[in-house]
Amino acid sequence: MTTPLLTLITQQSLDEDYLHVAERRAAGHGRAPTARPQVRAAIVLALFGLIVMTAVIQTSRNSSTDQAGRASLIERINAERAVGRSLQTRIGRVTASNTAAEETLSAVTAAAVAAQTRLRRVQIRTGYLAVTGPGVRVTVTDPESGEEAVRDTDLRRLVNGLWQAGAEAIAINGQRLTVLTAIRNSGPVVNVNYQPLRPPYVVTAIGDPRTLQADLLDSEGGAEFIGLARQYGFGVDVQNVDDDGLTLPAATQRGLRSAQIAAPSRPDMEDLAP
Amino acid sequence: MIALLGLLVGVVVGLVAQPDVPLSLQPYLPIAVVAALDAVFGGFRAFLDGIFDDKVFVVSFLSNVVIAAAIVWVGDKLGVGGQLSTGVIVVLGIRIFSNVAAIRRHLFHA
Repeated sequence: MTTPLLTLITQQSLDEDYLHVAERRAAGHGRAPTARPQVRAAIVLALFGLIVMTAVIQTSRNSSTDQAGRASLIERINAERAVGRSLQTRIGRVTASNTAAEETLSAVTAAAVAAQTRLRRVQIRTGYLAVTGPGVRVTVTDPESGEEAVRDTDLRRLVNGLWQAGAEAIAINGQRLTVLTAIRNSGPVVNVNYQPLRPPYVVTAIGDPRTLQADLLDSEGGAEFIGLARQYGFGVDVQNVDDDGLTLPAATQRGLRSAQIAAPSRPDMEDLAP
Repeated sequence: MIALLGLLVGVVVGLVAQPDVPLSLQPYLPIAVVAALDAVFGGFRAFLDGIFDDKVFVVSFLSNVVIAAAIVWVGDKLGVGGQLSTGVIVVLGIRIFSNVAAIRRHLFHA
Protein backbone atom coordinates (compact mmCIF):
# COMPACT_ATOMS: atom_id res chain seq x y z
CA MET A 1 0.00 0.00 0.00
CA THR A 2 1.37 3.35 -0.98
CA THR A 3 1.54 6.10 1.57
CA PRO A 4 -0.20 9.36 0.65
CA LEU A 5 2.26 11.97 -0.49
CA LEU A 6 1.64 14.42 2.36
CA THR A 7 1.99 11.71 4.98
CA LEU A 8 5.16 10.47 3.34
CA ILE A 9 6.71 13.90 3.34
CA THR A 10 5.73 14.47 6.97
CA GLN A 11 7.09 11.12 8.07
CA GLN A 12 10.38 11.58 6.31
CA SER A 13 10.85 15.17 7.29
CA LEU A 14 13.85 14.15 9.36
CA ASP A 15 16.65 12.84 7.22
CA GLU A 16 16.71 9.09 7.59
CA ASP A 17 20.50 9.24 7.52
CA TYR A 18 20.51 10.50 11.09
CA LEU A 19 18.59 7.39 12.16
CA HIS A 20 20.80 5.05 10.11
CA VAL A 21 23.96 6.49 11.57
CA ALA A 22 22.54 6.36 15.06
CA GLU A 23 21.50 2.72 14.63
CA ARG A 24 24.88 1.80 13.23
CA ARG A 25 26.61 3.56 16.08
CA ALA A 26 24.37 1.78 18.56
CA ALA A 27 25.29 -1.51 16.90
CA GLY A 28 28.93 -0.63 17.40
CA HIS A 29 29.84 -0.51 13.72
CA GLY A 30 30.00 3.25 13.52
CA ARG A 31 33.09 5.27 13.67
CA ALA A 32 33.98 6.87 16.94
CA PRO A 33 32.40 10.23 17.59
CA THR A 34 34.56 13.05 16.38
CA ALA A 35 36.56 14.91 18.91
CA ARG A 36 35.07 18.26 17.95
CA PRO A 37 31.73 17.34 16.36
CA GLN A 38 30.41 20.83 16.35
CA VAL A 39 33.13 22.56 14.34
CA ARG A 40 32.02 21.30 10.94
CA ALA A 41 28.41 22.03 11.82
CA ALA A 42 29.47 25.52 12.83
CA ILE A 43 31.23 26.03 9.50
CA VAL A 44 28.11 24.88 7.63
CA LEU A 45 25.94 27.13 9.77
CA ALA A 46 28.24 30.03 8.96
CA LEU A 47 27.77 29.19 5.30
CA PHE A 48 24.01 29.13 5.91
CA GLY A 49 24.11 32.57 7.52
CA LEU A 50 26.17 33.88 4.63
CA ILE A 51 23.70 32.55 2.06
CA VAL A 52 20.72 33.94 3.93
CA MET A 53 22.27 37.36 4.28
CA THR A 54 23.31 37.37 0.62
CA ALA A 55 19.76 36.52 -0.43
CA VAL A 56 18.33 39.20 1.84
CA ILE A 57 20.71 41.86 0.57
CA GLN A 58 20.19 40.81 -3.00
CA THR A 59 16.42 40.98 -2.64
CA SER A 60 16.52 44.41 -1.04
CA ARG A 61 18.87 45.64 -3.79
CA ASN A 62 16.61 44.26 -6.47
CA SER A 63 13.64 45.82 -4.78
CA SER A 64 15.27 49.24 -5.15
CA THR A 65 15.75 48.70 -8.87
CA ASP A 66 12.21 47.31 -9.08
CA GLN A 67 10.99 50.45 -7.38
CA ALA A 68 12.90 52.58 -9.87
CA GLY A 69 11.45 50.60 -12.76
CA ARG A 70 7.97 50.98 -11.33
CA ALA A 71 8.47 54.70 -10.82
CA SER A 72 9.66 55.19 -14.39
CA LEU A 73 6.74 53.11 -15.62
CA ILE A 74 4.28 55.23 -13.64
CA GLU A 75 5.94 58.33 -15.05
CA ARG A 76 5.54 56.97 -18.55
CA ILE A 77 1.92 56.07 -17.91
CA ASN A 78 1.22 59.58 -16.70
CA ALA A 79 2.99 61.10 -19.71
CA GLU A 80 1.04 58.87 -22.08
CA ARG A 81 -2.17 59.77 -20.26
CA ALA A 82 -1.41 63.44 -20.82
CA VAL A 83 -0.78 62.72 -24.48
CA GLY A 84 -4.05 60.79 -24.60
CA ARG A 85 -5.90 63.71 -23.01
CA SER A 86 -4.47 66.18 -25.51
CA LEU A 87 -5.41 63.79 -28.31
CA GLN A 88 -8.92 63.59 -26.89
CA THR A 89 -9.26 67.36 -26.95
CA ARG A 90 -7.94 67.32 -30.49
CA ILE A 91 -10.55 64.73 -31.39
CA GLY A 92 -13.19 67.03 -29.94
CA ARG A 93 -11.91 69.99 -31.90
CA VAL A 94 -11.63 68.04 -35.12
CA THR A 95 -15.10 66.58 -34.62
CA ALA A 96 -16.53 70.04 -34.11
CA SER A 97 -14.81 71.39 -37.21
CA ASN A 98 -15.94 68.27 -39.05
CA THR A 99 -19.53 68.95 -38.07
CA ALA A 100 -19.18 72.55 -39.19
CA ALA A 101 -17.67 71.40 -42.48
CA GLU A 102 -20.49 68.91 -42.95
CA GLU A 103 -23.03 71.66 -42.39
CA THR A 104 -21.26 73.83 -44.92
CA LEU A 105 -21.13 70.92 -47.31
CA SER A 106 -24.85 70.25 -47.02
CA ALA A 107 -25.58 73.95 -47.49
CA VAL A 108 -23.31 74.06 -50.54
CA THR A 109 -24.87 70.88 -51.90
CA ALA A 110 -28.34 72.32 -51.47
CA ALA A 111 -27.22 75.50 -53.21
CA ALA A 112 -25.69 73.45 -56.02
CA VAL A 113 -28.88 71.43 -56.42
CA ALA A 114 -30.93 74.61 -56.44
CA ALA A 115 -28.59 76.16 -59.00
CA GLN A 116 -28.79 73.00 -61.12
CA THR A 117 -32.59 73.08 -60.96
CA ARG A 118 -32.60 76.77 -61.85
CA LEU A 119 -30.22 76.11 -64.73
CA ARG A 120 -32.48 73.36 -66.06
CA ARG A 121 -35.54 75.57 -65.85
CA VAL A 122 -33.68 78.34 -67.62
CA GLN A 123 -32.48 75.86 -70.24
CA ILE A 124 -36.02 74.64 -70.79
CA ARG A 125 -37.31 78.19 -71.06
CA THR A 126 -34.60 79.25 -73.46
CA GLY A 127 -34.73 76.10 -75.53
CA TYR A 128 -31.33 74.61 -74.83
CA LEU A 129 -32.56 71.42 -73.19
CA ALA A 130 -34.51 68.64 -74.85
CA VAL A 131 -37.96 68.35 -73.21
CA THR A 132 -40.86 65.97 -73.35
CA GLY A 133 -44.48 66.30 -72.30
CA PRO A 134 -48.07 66.67 -73.46
CA GLY A 135 -49.13 69.43 -75.84
CA VAL A 136 -50.49 70.11 -79.30
CA ARG A 137 -49.17 69.33 -82.75
CA VAL A 138 -50.19 71.84 -85.47
CA THR A 139 -49.52 70.72 -89.03
CA VAL A 140 -49.63 73.52 -91.58
CA THR A 141 -49.56 72.69 -95.32
CA ASP A 142 -49.39 74.92 -98.37
CA PRO A 143 -52.68 75.38 -100.25
CA GLU A 144 -53.21 72.60 -102.78
CA SER A 145 -53.68 75.04 -105.68
CA GLY A 146 -52.66 78.59 -106.42
CA GLU A 147 -49.55 80.67 -106.11
CA GLU A 148 -49.77 81.30 -102.37
CA ALA A 149 -47.57 79.50 -99.86
CA VAL A 150 -47.09 79.57 -96.10
CA ARG A 151 -44.74 82.46 -95.24
CA ASP A 152 -42.64 83.39 -92.25
CA THR A 153 -45.20 85.87 -90.99
CA ASP A 154 -47.90 83.18 -90.89
CA LEU A 155 -45.74 80.85 -88.83
CA ARG A 156 -44.65 83.78 -86.62
CA ARG A 157 -48.30 84.55 -85.86
CA LEU A 158 -48.97 80.90 -85.03
CA VAL A 159 -45.93 80.71 -82.76
CA ASN A 160 -46.81 83.97 -81.02
CA GLY A 161 -50.31 82.66 -80.49
CA LEU A 162 -48.92 79.45 -78.97
CA TRP A 163 -46.65 81.43 -76.59
CA GLN A 164 -49.64 83.56 -75.62
CA ALA A 165 -51.74 80.45 -75.07
CA GLY A 166 -49.22 79.24 -72.50
CA ALA A 167 -46.91 76.96 -74.49
CA GLU A 168 -43.75 76.17 -72.58
CA ALA A 169 -41.59 74.97 -75.46
CA ILE A 170 -42.09 75.09 -79.22
CA ALA A 171 -40.34 73.49 -82.17
CA ILE A 172 -40.99 73.72 -85.90
CA ASN A 173 -40.01 70.66 -87.95
CA GLY A 174 -37.60 69.69 -85.19
CA GLN A 175 -36.05 73.14 -84.95
CA ARG A 176 -36.40 74.26 -81.34
CA LEU A 177 -37.37 77.86 -80.86
CA THR A 178 -35.01 79.74 -78.57
CA VAL A 179 -34.47 83.32 -77.52
CA LEU A 180 -32.21 83.71 -80.55
CA THR A 181 -34.54 82.08 -83.06
CA ALA A 182 -35.59 83.95 -86.17
CA ILE A 183 -38.37 82.81 -88.51
CA ARG A 184 -37.65 84.36 -91.86
CA ASN A 185 -38.34 83.84 -95.50
CA SER A 186 -35.49 83.56 -97.91
CA GLY A 187 -37.22 83.66 -101.26
CA PRO A 188 -40.07 81.14 -101.07
CA VAL A 189 -38.38 79.05 -98.41
CA VAL A 190 -39.07 79.51 -94.69
CA ASN A 191 -35.93 79.48 -92.52
CA VAL A 192 -36.00 78.70 -88.81
CA ASN A 193 -32.73 79.04 -86.90
CA TYR A 194 -31.21 79.79 -90.34
CA GLN A 195 -32.15 76.27 -91.46
CA PRO A 196 -34.39 76.00 -94.52
CA LEU A 197 -37.60 74.07 -93.87
CA ARG A 198 -39.71 72.09 -96.26
CA PRO A 199 -43.49 71.97 -95.99
CA PRO A 200 -45.52 70.61 -94.31
CA TYR A 201 -44.63 72.65 -91.26
CA VAL A 202 -45.20 70.67 -88.08
CA VAL A 203 -45.33 73.01 -85.10
CA THR A 204 -45.11 71.10 -81.82
CA ALA A 205 -45.80 72.94 -78.57
CA ILE A 206 -45.63 71.58 -75.06
CA GLY A 207 -48.25 72.89 -72.68
CA ASP A 208 -51.48 71.98 -71.01
CA PRO A 209 -53.36 70.06 -73.76
CA ARG A 210 -56.74 70.81 -72.15
CA THR A 211 -56.41 74.57 -72.58
CA LEU A 212 -53.70 75.11 -75.15
CA GLN A 213 -55.84 74.63 -78.25
CA ALA A 214 -58.73 76.79 -77.05
CA ASP A 215 -56.41 79.52 -75.77
CA LEU A 216 -54.59 79.46 -79.12
CA LEU A 217 -57.84 80.28 -80.94
CA ASP A 218 -58.58 82.99 -78.37
CA SER A 219 -55.17 84.62 -78.68
CA GLU A 220 -54.47 87.50 -81.01
CA GLY A 221 -51.78 85.68 -83.00
CA GLY A 222 -53.82 82.48 -83.21
CA ALA A 223 -56.92 84.26 -84.41
CA GLU A 224 -54.93 86.14 -87.06
CA PHE A 225 -53.29 82.91 -88.20
CA ILE A 226 -56.61 81.10 -88.51
CA GLY A 227 -58.00 84.03 -90.46
CA LEU A 228 -55.06 83.99 -92.88
CA ALA A 229 -55.28 80.22 -93.24
CA ARG A 230 -58.94 80.47 -94.19
CA GLN A 231 -58.21 83.34 -96.54
CA TYR A 232 -55.41 81.58 -98.43
CA GLY A 233 -56.58 78.02 -98.04
CA PHE A 234 -53.73 76.59 -95.88
CA GLY A 235 -54.24 73.14 -94.58
CA VAL A 236 -54.29 73.34 -90.76
CA ASP A 237 -54.51 70.24 -88.61
CA VAL A 238 -54.42 70.66 -84.82
CA GLN A 239 -53.95 67.54 -82.73
CA ASN A 240 -53.84 67.16 -78.95
CA VAL A 241 -51.05 64.90 -77.73
CA ASP A 242 -51.39 63.57 -74.18
CA ASP A 243 -49.09 61.80 -71.77
CA ASP A 244 -45.58 62.93 -72.65
CA GLY A 245 -46.22 62.19 -76.29
CA LEU A 246 -44.14 65.11 -77.55
CA THR A 247 -40.39 65.27 -77.44
CA LEU A 248 -38.71 68.49 -78.44
CA PRO A 249 -34.97 68.43 -79.23
CA ALA A 250 -32.53 70.91 -77.73
CA ALA A 251 -31.34 73.78 -79.82
CA THR A 252 -27.73 73.86 -80.88
CA GLN A 253 -25.92 75.89 -78.30
CA ARG A 254 -23.96 78.81 -79.55
CA GLY A 255 -21.21 80.28 -77.42
CA LEU A 256 -21.55 83.82 -76.24
CA ARG A 257 -18.82 85.94 -77.77
CA SER A 258 -19.87 89.47 -76.86
CA ALA A 259 -22.51 89.20 -74.18
CA GLN A 260 -21.37 89.24 -70.56
CA ILE A 261 -23.28 88.94 -67.33
CA ALA A 262 -24.26 92.37 -66.04
CA ALA A 263 -23.15 92.89 -62.44
CA PRO A 264 -24.72 92.34 -59.99
CA SER A 265 -26.03 89.05 -61.23
CA ARG A 266 -29.59 88.38 -60.25
CA PRO A 267 -30.16 85.29 -58.18
CA ASP A 268 -33.90 85.24 -58.95
CA MET A 269 -33.40 83.92 -62.43
CA GLU A 270 -36.34 81.55 -62.04
CA ASP A 271 -38.53 84.58 -62.66
CA LEU A 272 -37.34 84.40 -66.22
CA ALA A 273 -40.50 83.77 -68.16
CA PRO A 274 -41.31 83.84 -71.83
CA MET B 1 27.29 26.93 21.27
CA ILE B 2 30.02 26.80 18.69
CA ALA B 3 27.31 26.23 16.06
CA LEU B 4 25.45 29.38 17.10
CA LEU B 5 28.73 31.26 17.00
CA GLY B 6 29.28 30.00 13.46
CA LEU B 7 25.82 31.19 12.45
CA LEU B 8 26.55 34.61 13.91
CA VAL B 9 29.92 34.78 12.12
CA GLY B 10 28.23 33.90 8.84
CA VAL B 11 25.58 36.58 9.23
CA VAL B 12 28.18 39.20 10.12
CA VAL B 13 30.43 38.23 7.22
CA GLY B 14 27.43 38.42 4.88
CA LEU B 15 26.49 41.84 6.18
CA VAL B 16 30.01 43.20 5.93
CA ALA B 17 31.16 41.64 2.69
CA GLN B 18 27.84 41.86 0.85
CA PRO B 19 28.97 39.36 -1.79
CA ASP B 20 27.62 39.79 -5.26
CA VAL B 21 25.77 36.84 -6.73
CA PRO B 22 26.24 36.36 -10.48
CA LEU B 23 23.15 37.37 -12.36
CA SER B 24 22.70 33.86 -13.79
CA LEU B 25 22.57 32.38 -10.27
CA GLN B 26 20.27 34.95 -8.76
CA PRO B 27 16.97 33.12 -9.47
CA TYR B 28 18.26 30.02 -7.63
CA LEU B 29 19.43 31.78 -4.46
CA PRO B 30 15.99 31.95 -2.73
CA ILE B 31 15.29 28.28 -3.38
CA ALA B 32 18.77 27.40 -2.06
CA VAL B 33 18.01 29.38 1.09
CA VAL B 34 14.77 27.47 1.65
CA ALA B 35 16.57 24.16 1.11
CA ALA B 36 19.28 25.19 3.56
CA LEU B 37 16.62 26.18 6.06
CA ASP B 38 15.15 22.69 5.78
CA ALA B 39 18.56 21.08 6.38
CA VAL B 40 19.22 23.34 9.37
CA PHE B 41 15.89 22.59 11.01
CA GLY B 42 16.35 18.89 10.28
CA GLY B 43 19.78 19.00 11.95
CA PHE B 44 18.41 20.86 14.96
CA ARG B 45 15.66 18.31 15.37
CA ALA B 46 18.18 15.48 15.16
CA PHE B 47 20.27 17.31 17.74
CA LEU B 48 17.30 17.46 20.10
CA ASP B 49 16.55 13.79 19.36
CA GLY B 50 20.11 13.07 20.39
CA ILE B 51 21.05 11.49 17.10
CA PHE B 52 22.82 14.46 15.56
CA ASP B 53 25.77 13.64 13.35
CA ASP B 54 27.79 16.47 11.91
CA LYS B 55 28.80 14.52 8.80
CA VAL B 56 25.19 13.75 7.94
CA PHE B 57 24.35 17.39 8.60
CA VAL B 58 27.05 18.68 6.26
CA VAL B 59 26.12 16.26 3.52
CA SER B 60 22.37 16.90 3.84
CA PHE B 61 22.91 20.66 3.87
CA LEU B 62 25.09 20.73 0.74
CA SER B 63 23.01 18.21 -1.18
CA ASN B 64 19.77 19.99 -0.27
CA VAL B 65 21.09 23.32 -1.51
CA VAL B 66 22.62 21.94 -4.69
CA ILE B 67 19.69 19.66 -5.59
CA ALA B 68 17.04 22.32 -4.98
CA ALA B 69 18.92 24.85 -7.13
CA ALA B 70 19.59 22.19 -9.79
CA ILE B 71 15.93 21.16 -9.97
CA VAL B 72 14.85 24.74 -10.54
CA TRP B 73 17.65 25.26 -13.07
CA VAL B 74 16.54 22.20 -15.04
CA GLY B 75 12.97 23.43 -14.81
CA ASP B 76 14.04 26.78 -16.22
CA LYS B 77 15.73 25.01 -19.12
CA LEU B 78 12.57 23.00 -19.78
CA GLY B 79 10.30 26.01 -19.43
CA VAL B 80 8.59 24.77 -16.25
CA GLY B 81 10.86 26.58 -13.78
CA GLY B 82 7.99 28.31 -12.04
CA GLN B 83 6.01 25.11 -11.49
CA LEU B 84 9.04 23.13 -10.35
CA SER B 85 10.14 25.80 -7.89
CA THR B 86 6.59 25.86 -6.53
CA GLY B 87 6.76 22.10 -6.03
CA VAL B 88 10.16 22.29 -4.32
CA ILE B 89 8.95 25.11 -2.04
CA VAL B 90 5.83 23.12 -1.09
CA VAL B 91 7.76 19.96 -0.19
CA LEU B 92 10.46 21.82 1.71
CA GLY B 93 7.87 23.96 3.46
CA ILE B 94 5.97 20.91 4.69
CA ARG B 95 9.21 19.37 5.90
CA ILE B 96 10.21 22.54 7.69
CA PHE B 97 6.83 22.78 9.38
CA SER B 98 6.86 19.18 10.60
CA ASN B 99 10.46 19.52 11.80
CA VAL B 100 9.64 22.72 13.65
CA ALA B 101 6.64 20.97 15.18
CA ALA B 102 8.95 18.20 16.46
CA ILE B 103 11.39 20.79 17.80
CA ARG B 104 8.56 22.56 19.55
CA ARG B 105 7.50 19.29 21.13
CA HIS B 106 11.04 18.79 22.39
CA LEU B 107 11.48 22.30 23.73
CA PHE B 108 8.12 22.79 25.39
CA HIS B 109 7.18 19.15 25.93
CA ALA B 110 3.83 19.92 24.40
